[in-house]
Amino acid sequence: MTTAEPPGIRKYVAVYLCLVVITALQFVVGYQNIEGGRMAVRMLTFGVIETILVVLFLMNLSAEKRALIKFIAYFMLFVLAAMNWIWTDSFRLLLFRLTKTGPS
Amino acid sequence: MSHAVMGTHVPGMIEESPFAIPSKKLAMWLFIMADVMTFAACLAAYTFTRNATPDWPRPFHGIASVAVMTFIMLTSCLTMLIGLRAAKMGDKAGAFRWTMVTAIGGIVFALLHIREWMLMLDQGAGLFHNPWGIAAFGAAYYVITGFSLLHISVGSIALIIVGIRYKGGRCDADDLEVMNLYWQFVDLVWLFIVPAVYLMNLAR
Repeated sequence: MTTAEPPGIRKYVAVYLCLVVITALQFVVGYQNIEGGRMAVRMLTFGVIETILVVLFLMNLSAEKRALIKFIAYFMLFVLAAMNWIWTDSFRLLLFRLTKTGPS
Repeated sequence: MSHAVMGTHVPGMIEESPFAIPSKKLAMWLFIMADVMTFAACLAAYTFTRNATPDWPRPFHGIASVAVMTFIMLTSCLTMLIGLRAAKMGDKAGAFRWTMVTAIGGIVFALLHIREWMLMLDQGAGLFHNPWGIAAFGAAYYVITGFSLLHISVGSIALIIVGIRYKGGRCDADDLEVMNLYWQFVDLVWLFIVPAVYLMNLAR
């Protein structure tokens, strides 16, 4: 691990600047008067881009073996799929509230 | 025959580390994956509660402090990487210096975070009671941000310890790389907390 030539500092600075810009955009979107659902989608999109940048380049996962990348990717997808069970229930309740209907 | 093989060192018979990375690095990846589940559960539960509660409070008027905290965390990630690079190049003094700069960034973040909490407490927003009458708000806010604050505080202390041990020759660049993984992760978690907790609950 220590024998390989470490990545150049320019790559890290470039990723850092990208993260600063994306975070600044999140703040701009936060101050706009956008409906909650659309804002959540935009924030989540920014979050996914930030995650990819951080995990691949700042945590150096892109330089690891394919097997480790696959292991982490599959595990994370499992976590997100498990969370999806809660998300759907959350939006079901939201729909009940908006349409004034619900389980009898 | 088998006893003879088991009792002697046979080149090529020793099992390699899984995924061809050092065990402590793999351990940190496993810890991070477990922690992702914890934070994902917290944020999903928070979003669930927020969606299911009419008139969820929007108490954040100005978030300049949160913006500064976010900038400090992002910058500390860069300083951590500069320190790690210095360690891999054999620059011990540089690695120690940048690791300490990262730890100071974490400490400043923690102090600003506690100040943010004090402002919330001044508004009357406690763990179970708040002026907006939504009891779950305080619990959700303090648990999520508190969990992040705990991670960053522990990480800052660990950075100081590993930095000092690295300077003393008891830790190496691999240990700093493990710390880098942890530090980038807590920064990433903060980047999800900011929009979910603060930006989507700005006062209108």
